[in-house]
Amino acid sequence: MLIPRRVKHRKQHHPDRSGRAKGGTQINFGEYAIQALEPAYVTNRQIESARIAMTRHIRRGGKVWISIYPDRPLTKKPAETRMGSGKGSPEWWVANVKPGRVLFELSGVAEPVAREAMRRAIHKLPMKCRFITREGEV
Amino acid sequence: MADFRLVAEARTEFGKGSARRTRRAGRIPAVLYGHGQDVVHLSLPAREFAAILRNGGTNALITVVLDGTEQLALTKSVQRDPLTRVHEHVDLLVVRRGERVTVDVPVVTVGESGPEALVSVELNTVSLEAEATAIPESIEVDITGRGAGEGVTAGDLPLPAGATLLTDPEALVINVMGAPTAEQLDAELAEAEAEAGIEREESAPAEGGIGEGDVVPEPQAQGGGESIESTENS
Repeated sequence: MLIPRRVKHRKQHHPDRSGRAKGGTQINFGEYAIQALEPAYVTNRQIESARIAMTRHIRRGGKVWISIYPDRPLTKKPAETRMGSGKGSPEWWVANVKPGRVLFELSGVAEPVAREAMRRAIHKLPMKCRFITREGEV
Repeated sequence: MADFRLVAEARTEFGKGSARRTRRAGRIPAVLYGHGQDVVHLSLPAREFAAILRNGGTNALITVVLDGTEQLALTKSVQRDPLTRVHEHVDLLVVRRGERVTVDVPVVTVGESGPEALVSVELNTVSLEAEATAIPESIEVDITGRGAGEGVTAGDLPLPAGATLLTDPEALVINVMGAPTAEQLDAELAEAEAEAGIEREESAPAEGGIGEGDVVPEPQAQGGGESIESTENS
């Protein structure tokens, strides 16, 4: 599962959820990709779950790239705790995804297989996404 | 190469307000430059331009008709909105008939590789120098029967007559690797699932099955990772 090896600060402010992706909106490595249509925090578990769903469907045929990295910690206060007493402890690692961002890329399989694999992966993600192809990027 | 014609209109007002009005009118703001001539600001019909890119590819040779004069041009750069996929702006480069130009041509694989091989296209485009009127739409590489280690370098690509390769001939364009065995893949995925705490109820029957429905719904895993131990983050 993706997790930063070492961080400068354990706790951060909540990442900004507004705006659109200003980079990472094109397919760079594969032939097909999943593109986010809504902003979301995607946890490392969701990324891993989507990758596994995709890899299980394509079996040995293709190659998967993950284009996002969960480098933002989110904290949570314990249940039934009064307010105050400082910030909670880090609970999740998330990627701050904005609309337009390419999340996963895939190559080495036929388009129907890629479409179905990515449909399964999209079900593991917390926002609306779509399937895009390199040809459609022209 | 097919001949594509676009009737352009000169633009007289500039800035984002004018550009947005142009787009609302179904046209794309564009500029035309090259060969030392002054930059010409124009607008192109959006539907026709999209059709040219779809049918002729990114290196389509376009005849731009502006105020009755015709000029040959190539698309140098196209800005596109990543969400709406609307073409926002186009840079056109003036070329002359018979002139040699440098273009990036897509590489396309045809055929099926060997049974135990995994094909990865490392370079999606290669740089070529070719006559502006004879730019190939794509370069097709036959990978039929290729096994692991039988990759294709840029020097191996079948180039059309008159075209010169500018990319390093030693650069690997298509990499053919050995596919992981089913056991390796299952072991890797099982390990990843265990690490992420994902439970697969029907894993055993699905493995030998037909492939459909082999991903079991994961309502617990879908929840968003509340069970991640905070200790490993510290």
